[in-house]
Parts: sequence; C-alpha cells; structure tokens
Amino acid sequence: MKTLSELTDYYYKELYPSIDELEKTRQEIASRLKLYGGMGLALFGLVAIWCTKTFGLLHPMSIAIAIGFIAVGTIIYRSMTQNYAKDFKEKVITPLINAIDSNLLYNPDLMISQTLFERSQLFNHSIDRYRGNDYVKGSIDGVPIEFSDVHAEYQTRDSKGRTQWHTLFRGLFLVAEFNKHFKSRTVLLPDLAEKTFGNLIGGWLQSLNISRDKVIQLDDPEFEKKFVVYGNDPIEARYILSHSMMNRIVEFQKKISYPLFISFVYNHIHVGIGAGKDLFEPAVFTSLLDYKQAMEYINTLRYTIGLVEELKLNEKLWSKE
Amino acid sequence: MTVFLSILGVVALIAILIYNSLIGKKNQVDNIFAGVDTVLKKRYDLIPNLVASVERYMEHEKSTLEKVTEYRAQAMKPGISDDQKIALDAKLTSALGAINIAMEAYPDLKANENVMHLMRTLNEIEEQISAARRAYNQSVTDLNNAIEMFPTNIVAGWMNLQRRLLFEITTTERQNVNVHDLFNRS
Repeated sequence: MKTLSELTDYYYKELYPSIDELEKTRQEIASRLKLYGGMGLALFGLVAIWCTKTFGLLHPMSIAIAIGFIAVGTIIYRSMTQNYAKDFKEKVITPLINAIDSNLLYNPDLMISQTLFERSQLFNHSIDRYRGNDYVKGSIDGVPIEFSDVHAEYQTRDSKGRTQWHTLFRGLFLVAEFNKHFKSRTVLLPDLAEKTFGNLIGGWLQSLNISRDKVIQLDDPEFEKKFVVYGNDPIEARYILSHSMMNRIVEFQKKISYPLFISFVYNHIHVGIGAGKDLFEPAVFTSLLDYKQAMEYINTLRYTIGLVEELKLNEKLWSKE
Repeated sequence: MTVFLSILGVVALIAILIYNSLIGKKNQVDNIFAGVDTVLKKRYDLIPNLVASVERYMEHEKSTLEKVTEYRAQAMKPGISDDQKIALDAKLTSALGAINIAMEAYPDLKANENVMHLMRTLNEIEEQISAARRAYNQSVTDLNNAIEMFPTNIVAGWMNLQRRLLFEITTTERQNVNVHDLFNRS
C-alpha cells in the first residue's frame, strides 16, 4: 500500500492534468454560483420585506416562502455541481483508490447495505431514510473490506403533527472481517458522558443505558477516556480488545478528528467515522490544488483503507487462516 | 411516628439495594471465574501432548517440563480452592513462557510441524486466558471496592463477604504482544 507522501505525489503529479481541467470547471461554477447567490439573496431580501409587511415575519406563509427559497437554491446548486462532482469522482477518486490498492472496486452510486449497517448494532434506533454513495469493496492483504458514505436518518412528529428529520449517523461506514473468532457482541461508542460529567457521574449515566448490554470497564486509562464499551461477554470483549488492539484504536482515533463508533459482531468489525458530511464530494469554493483540500481526500482514503493495516486485521490467528 | 417510619423505610430500601448489588457483584465474580476455569482447562488438556512432543528434543529443559506437568497435576486435583488455582496459574504461565523462549535454541523443534501447531494453539489459548484474567480482575476489583467502601462495607460485613485475590498480570502481558511470535508469519 502506498504511503501518504507517495499518494500526495501521485495526486499532484499523475493526476495533475485531470485536476487542472477540473479546477477550471470549478472556478467557472464557483463564480456562477456567487453571481446567482448574490442575485438570489437580493431577491430574497425584497421578498422578505414584502412578506413582513403583508403577513408578518413569523407568519406560516412567510416561513413557507423562506423554505421555498432554500429548496430552490439547493436544487440550483445541485444541478450546477452534479456533473462536476461526477467528473471529480471519475478522474480523481477512482485513480486514487486504484493507486492505494488495485484490488479495490469503486462505485460512486452504490453504498453499504442497510442490513449491514443495522447489523453493526451501533445505532439502536429505527431508520426511516437511508442513503449513501461512494462504495468501495475489495480485499486488503487478504482481509475482505467494504465501505461507503452513509446518511441514516429517523423521523419524528412534533405536537402540531409536523415531520422532522434527525440524523442518526452521517459519515463513512466500514465493515471488515475480524482476525479472531468470537460469538459475542462488543460495542465501542465515543465516551461523551464521562467527558461531560467526569468519571463518577458519567460512569453511572453510562450504566443506565437500557438499550445496551452491560458497560465493560477496561484496563487502559487512555482508551477508557475516549470510549465507553458495552458487551454481553466480559471475557470475549477483552479477548477482542487486547492491550495492543486498544492501543491501535486510540492511535487511530488520534489521527482522525471525527467521532469513532466501532462494533464487533458476527466475526466482523464495523467502524463508523462520524464526519457529519459526505467525505468524497469535491470542494466548490476551495481550489482542488489547495494542499489542505487535497490532503483531506488523500488522508480520508488512506486512513480508511489503511485501517486493516492500522488495526493489524491482516495478522490472522492461524486457526482463521 | 410517620417521619420515623419513613426514615426506617428509606434505610431498609437502601440496605436492600446495597445487599442486591453486593450479591450481583459476588455472582459476577463467580460467573467470570467459571469462564476462567474453562480456558484454563483448555490449557491443561493441551499440556500432556505438548510435553510429550518436545521432551525428546529439549534435553536441558527437563526440569521445567517436569514442573509444568507437576503444576498441571496439582491444578487438576478435585476440591482445589480458587486462590490455589490462581497461584498455580501464575507458576504454569511462567514455566510455559520459559519453554517458549527456550524453543529458540532448538531449530529441529521449530521445523517440527506438530510441535509448531501445538505451540500456536497454546498461544491462542494464552490470549484467551489473558482476557479471562483481565475480566476476572475487573470483577474482583469491583467486589473488593464494595467490600471496603462506605456504606457498602457495613452490609458486606453482615454478609461476611471476603476480599478475593487478583490474578497477577505479568509484565509481558502488559506489553504489546510481539505478533511474530503469536502468528503464523515468518
């Protein structure tokens, strides 16, 4: 697998012709968007003044018109960037993935199945809308792996019967075969309670989570600060989370700035990286040649695919070989 | 009178909750020890085969091999207490560790497929034992804390609960395992 610096060289050297061409398209789109955006805002301002005078600021009609403006704006933005995003995935993301490992298949329109996502048991909530894209499948060092961007949402109704959508998870979701046999269920979630309320109250709050198995306290203070672990077999949870595995997970969490959700069920590891956005969408208002921007694509891909190496999932116990 | 009865009721409720949580902790320790026992038994089952396979080669390690056999025999005696099992486990782990290290000096052994298969099986079992020990130690720590801390120590005193011994976690276990020793990789 190529290193980060090799991939950066590849991005700027090998992909330069495609990126240069895409960059010109991006600049055109960005300037057009700014022009339309300015006009739209001016029109919105005038309509807002008229609405306030005619109906009042918080009148349902005023709110409906505002929502209409946002919807039209979103549609215009989408239609203007759609082809550019498609080209970007074809000319940049596809070769980048191939450069990392030629065994990987990439399809920008597919996603990890909802069944697999639910099987992870990371998010105990019914899902009313499940979308995703940028699906990658293959094997790294003999370890079957698949991942994609996922956006899972659920619906609620308020007292007036209005529908509201809430994001359950948005980010990158990965499933890979684990290198040890196990029958139990072990779930690692970001430790928000302990971070917010401290050890004593946070620990007590975690133990109150009735939708989960028992809290499993582990003997690695740094790991315990970052994660709360729920599981139905305290021995097997520690068999999976050996000291070295906990160490690797902590190191991985340090490298990525997003919350990490990990579960071990059905002999597989499921990893959710809660970025809160699509990770492989091209930037519109930042140059594709911008180093930080380029590194975001490269890092995300390298770290995700590198997870097999990072967690040493390729070092299988001989009985699994 | 009502106030007195209310206070008495609250105290009784707290005592019941503490009693139940102590019972839960004690049962958790026993339950996990049963799991420890299961993996220890796996190791006892493997030892005779391993000793028989390596003793022809390991002339200089005869005494260590004899110790391993002896500790196994002691550990398998019926009616042995949990504390004795814990003590024997530490001895057995250290003796098996010595054999593992000594194997480096016997190239013939490393070429023997059967011995290598046994050693790899043993290493997997050792990982399971390590996990079981860590789980047991956590549950014992929870119980011991409850026995010593106020106010649970009062109820624990009435129940005559005794502190339990911890498994010693060896320094090698604390370090990140060298995977080349553990996995089938050259």
